[in-house]
Amino acid sequence: MSESKTPSKLEKILSSGHLAVTSECGPPRGSDPETIRKKAEMIKDHVDAINITDNQTSVTRLCSLASCIHLKLMGLEPVLQMVVRDRNRIALQSDILGAASFDIHNILCLSGDHQKFGDNPQAQNVFDIDSMQLIQMVRLMRDEGKFLGGDDIVRPPKMFVGAAANPFADPFEIRVPRLAKKVAAGAEFIQTQCIYNVERFKEWMRGVVDRGLHEKVYILAGVTPFKSAGMAKYMKNRVPGMDVPDELVKRMSGVPKEKQPEEGLKICVETIQQLKEVEGVSGFHIMAIEWEEKVPEIVDASGLYPRPKVDD
Amino acid sequence: MIVAEKKPIEEIIEEVEGYKKILIAGCNECVTVCEAGGKKEVQVLASALRMYFMNQGKDVKIDEVTLERQCDHEYLEEIRNIIDQYDAVVSLACGVGVQFMAEKYFSTPVLPGVNTCFMGVTEERGIWTERCQGCGQCILARTAGICPVSRCAKRLLNGPCGGSTKGKCEIDPNVDCAWQLIIDRLKALGRLEQDYEKLTPIKDWSTDRAGGPRKVVREDVRI
Amino acid sequence: MEGDCRFNNGNIRAKKRVAQAKQILDTIGIGGERVQMYNLSSAEGPKFAQYAVEMTHKIEELGPNPLKKAKAKMAA
Repeated sequence: MSESKTPSKLEKILSSGHLAVTSECGPPRGSDPETIRKKAEMIKDHVDAINITDNQTSVTRLCSLASCIHLKLMGLEPVLQMVVRDRNRIALQSDILGAASFDIHNILCLSGDHQKFGDNPQAQNVFDIDSMQLIQMVRLMRDEGKFLGGDDIVRPPKMFVGAAANPFADPFEIRVPRLAKKVAAGAEFIQTQCIYNVERFKEWMRGVVDRGLHEKVYILAGVTPFKSAGMAKYMKNRVPGMDVPDELVKRMSGVPKEKQPEEGLKICVETIQQLKEVEGVSGFHIMAIEWEEKVPEIVDASGLYPRPKVDD
Repeated sequence: MIVAEKKPIEEIIEEVEGYKKILIAGCNECVTVCEAGGKKEVQVLASALRMYFMNQGKDVKIDEVTLERQCDHEYLEEIRNIIDQYDAVVSLACGVGVQFMAEKYFSTPVLPGVNTCFMGVTEERGIWTERCQGCGQCILARTAGICPVSRCAKRLLNGPCGGSTKGKCEIDPNVDCAWQLIIDRLKALGRLEQDYEKLTPIKDWSTDRAGGPRKVVREDVRI
Repeated sequence: MEGDCRFNNGNIRAKKRVAQAKQILDTIGIGGERVQMYNLSSAEGPKFAQYAVEMTHKIEELGPNPLKKAKAKMAA
């Protein structure tokens, strides 16, 4: 693709043609940064960048920005996830500058789950701007060095801008046009929702490649290992926008309980191996929530270790 | 129209605690259509309250009136001659009417008898749903006549989000995903390809609630 | 019988209104058991008598309308 536009290590790895590997950590429901540091320690040599979720599922947690700063102070590469549910354009720009002041170079622009799912269903929500407009806004701040209001920014942020994509959400027919829209808005990398139905993902990717979008944006395929058959069933039936094929649930249920985590990891690695062969896939985003200790194993078994070194 | 819902009688009973002469005032327009505050509802509430107070051994006078509207001076003026007979009014009009009556009859407590909910439609008798939030800058021409501000739970202008499932919103399987509706209609109008990918710019919310209490002035009709 | 109304939905609507009335009477302390709806056809004389007797017994158990007592007290 193109050369790096930012100091982002993630961007450098992608633009040098390597398959990138990212993962994510959920911050604690308290103010102890040790949790984040511990999780990051577990995975740091096996990933190129670490996403920190932003009050995911609307459950109040230590903020993504502070968590990213902790990672940065450890010498690691954070990806700041930012939802538009809780902050207006003033706060969003302000937090972006906050992140930039610590030289955080990656941002993932998201809508955010509705607050009814979290611990404060009675809260107001913001949605001053949507996730597409946030992508545009960060690009404006970076490329033109301007605030949304038009004034100049002193020391503009140098951020690699990402967005999420869900090839499995409804309606299917606009999932490729939606990606095109995000690219047009300025997204430079994409992390997808976790993939279990590789065939359906391939169908989406064919549409993406047809339009040449894979040459304009780096697509990191999302994967999540099943910890148990129960988890597989839960994700199949209770999580919106998730496509879990029956064979996988059967496979998980077909092994005794103690063997299920192993089977889940096996499926995850197999999925990664299949996805490696799909045109347009530039890397992987491994989401192993509360199972971060397995990330190194997954990366290893998928032949993605060691991680490439790039000059900082 | 403005859609409202009757307040529970227990709540109204609490509101009128201590008053001895109460006027129940209904409205002939929106709250009549959504069966919350019209003449019928006034009659039922008045009757229930009379029975309640009598059962309590309390001597409370309850009268009824239903005005054409409570958001125009001329209709509220119709009770000027009788208002002083009462020490409180329970208005079954929407929040607009309750306030206008309170402004006009400054020394009479005016209490709300309904909860005002939204601007919406009668989908069928007994079901009313929201359609408009009065953002002040209507974008319905861009979204095939379906409003993402009022009908998308996240008021996304470039939707849908990843939570849209089988045409329904992630917040409730009975709530339509506004963006699914918009896409379906754009398709029906043959405009999906050209319109869907147009990026809707950031909205100016200054004409919405965020900008403060709003006002519309028509100089050409004022004298 | 329920649904077999000459006026189509008439008795369904009535059922809902009676339920509403019961609820209001409960809330204001009079008691919703004092109103009851039964479905039957005009040919079912004996059944009508049975329901009437049933309701009479119930009302006798519940006693007079509390408002009667309250009214008398207030007049005194």
